[in-house]
Amino acid sequence: MEQSRRITDSFPRRRRRRGPGRPPGRLKDRKDKDKDKDQDKAQLKVRQCPRGPSQAPPDPALMEMLRRFDLSWEYGPCSGITRLQRWERAQELGLSPPGPIRDALLEHRDNPDVTYRWVWDGLGW
Amino acid sequence: MFSEQAAPTAQGLLAPPSGEPPTFPRVAVAGYSDLSQPFRLGERSFCRQYAHVYAVRLAGMRPRLEQRARGRWGEDVALRRLSELREGEKCCVVGTLFKAMQLQPSILQEISEEHNLVPQPPLPKYIQPCDELMLEDELQRIRLEGAIDVQRLVTGTIVAVYGCEEEDGRFLVEDHCLADLPPALPWSGPSSDRFVLLASGLGLGSMSGEALLSTQLLVDVVTGQLGAEGEQSCAAHITRVILAGNLLSQNTQSRDTINKAKYLTKKTQAASVEAVKMLDEILLQLCTSVPVDVMPGEFDPTNYTLPQQPLHRCMLPLASAYATLRLVTNPYQASLDGVRFLGTSGQNISDIFKYSSMDDYLEILEWTLLAGHISPTAPDTLGCYPFYKSDPFILTECPHVYFCGNAPRFQSKLLQGKEGQRVLLVTVPDFSATQTACLVNLRDLSCQPITFSSFGADAED
Repeated sequence: MEQSRRITDSFPRRRRRRGPGRPPGRLKDRKDKDKDKDQDKAQLKVRQCPRGPSQAPPDPALMEMLRRFDLSWEYGPCSGITRLQRWERAQELGLSPPGPIRDALLEHRDNPDVTYRWVWDGLGW
Repeated sequence: MFSEQAAPTAQGLLAPPSGEPPTFPRVAVAGYSDLSQPFRLGERSFCRQYAHVYAVRLAGMRPRLEQRARGRWGEDVALRRLSELREGEKCCVVGTLFKAMQLQPSILQEISEEHNLVPQPPLPKYIQPCDELMLEDELQRIRLEGAIDVQRLVTGTIVAVYGCEEEDGRFLVEDHCLADLPPALPWSGPSSDRFVLLASGLGLGSMSGEALLSTQLLVDVVTGQLGAEGEQSCAAHITRVILAGNLLSQNTQSRDTINKAKYLTKKTQAASVEAVKMLDEILLQLCTSVPVDVMPGEFDPTNYTLPQQPLHRCMLPLASAYATLRLVTNPYQASLDGVRFLGTSGQNISDIFKYSSMDDYLEILEWTLLAGHISPTAPDTLGCYPFYKSDPFILTECPHVYFCGNAPRFQSKLLQGKEGQRVLLVTVPDFSATQTACLVNLRDLSCQPITFSSFGADAED
């Protein structure tokens, strides 16, 4: 279990700063809910502070590619593990997952939306 | 073996004491390596579902099963996934078995308020004639019928079935095969007699003290304090002692104190505290003389789910001062003098016993080896850690000695495989009930029971 659990973790979080160039059409609430859900689970390698202005947000094409990687059944279940763990497991089992996905995951490893499984409408884990 | 070498010198006990008592140095430990690293869990996270275990099990065992299928039904047999099945076409499918059992205890049924059911009492076997078998692969499942023994197989086994799909969506099985024995390991065993003592179910902390005398006799034989010079010289050939689980008795698990009021239980101590102290003293006597490997069992103070982690050394302060004490996991794999040992404390075998029609522990042990998996019923009916990367219970190499602890009686068999595998299967009996331990000779993979019976209160004489 993570050490930094506080009673205020269940309260809705407000973002302090906004990164530039945020893609349009993304719901503010969805990002907050993702953060709450992620904190409620024990797999916590995510930094609590929001993304700084130095990192560019991933483009929707990348997110779509990652989403397709999650939903492809050949690599096994996608819930409960990070995308990188799932990629490495598929590699070890000899299922030859596409290389660009790993490069993208490593490039954006600080972004919780990229590292974790695609969340559908703010539900799921 | 043991007694044959000892018998001629038995008369030595009646002779006057000699000036220089002979000493027999214990055979030196040569070539021990602990290979149970896959069973050790570091950081544990229980936030995953068990779907990962089944997915990696199927993905890991699929290549081997496809190879067996091709060898059995021809090189050009059609290997299909369930989604590619066509009606009437004879093909082979590899998947995980699921047995739908009516009597299987279900926690959801127990806590459901609509049913108002009293929890089902534990039964020795949960099988029924109306159980059904399904085959699941990554995407679909299908019901199996035909030449497949529903009662014998258990959930979680990876199997390859050959047959065709019927009109109403069932799969009619003509033949099926398991993964068969894993590839053989090269043999580099010792050339002289070396023994390993296997014992399990010491059952310390039980109310009756009858088994304590037998335990003390066991310790005395191993440390060479019992018998004439012949027996002592034989005991010097014992290189290792493996205690396969259930060092504490089931009586230490009673949780009555939870239901009682606090003022009644203020000064009581858990029964396991006294039992662990006794265990520490027994292990101290053993460790001063011979390397001991201690595996946890069902009633021992460690985690419940497989793989069970080693007992903590703070519980055994006297014995853990010695480097000869090794606290190991359950299941346990090690290479002793070039002979590969693999064994469990018996939870996997007794769980398969409950959900299968197989009655003989040795038969179930052999069946798990042929199925290529130590414990197929985990995580369905046996607690298991939610692995996601790989299933460490898949047998990738064929061990030389494969044992399970806490069996009702001693049985052993030397199994010869088609590809040159040679396995000694041993069911180590429960020591508190049978007072029997096993001696395995590493030179020729033979096994001999050794019983320490004492006269009970009922015996006349």
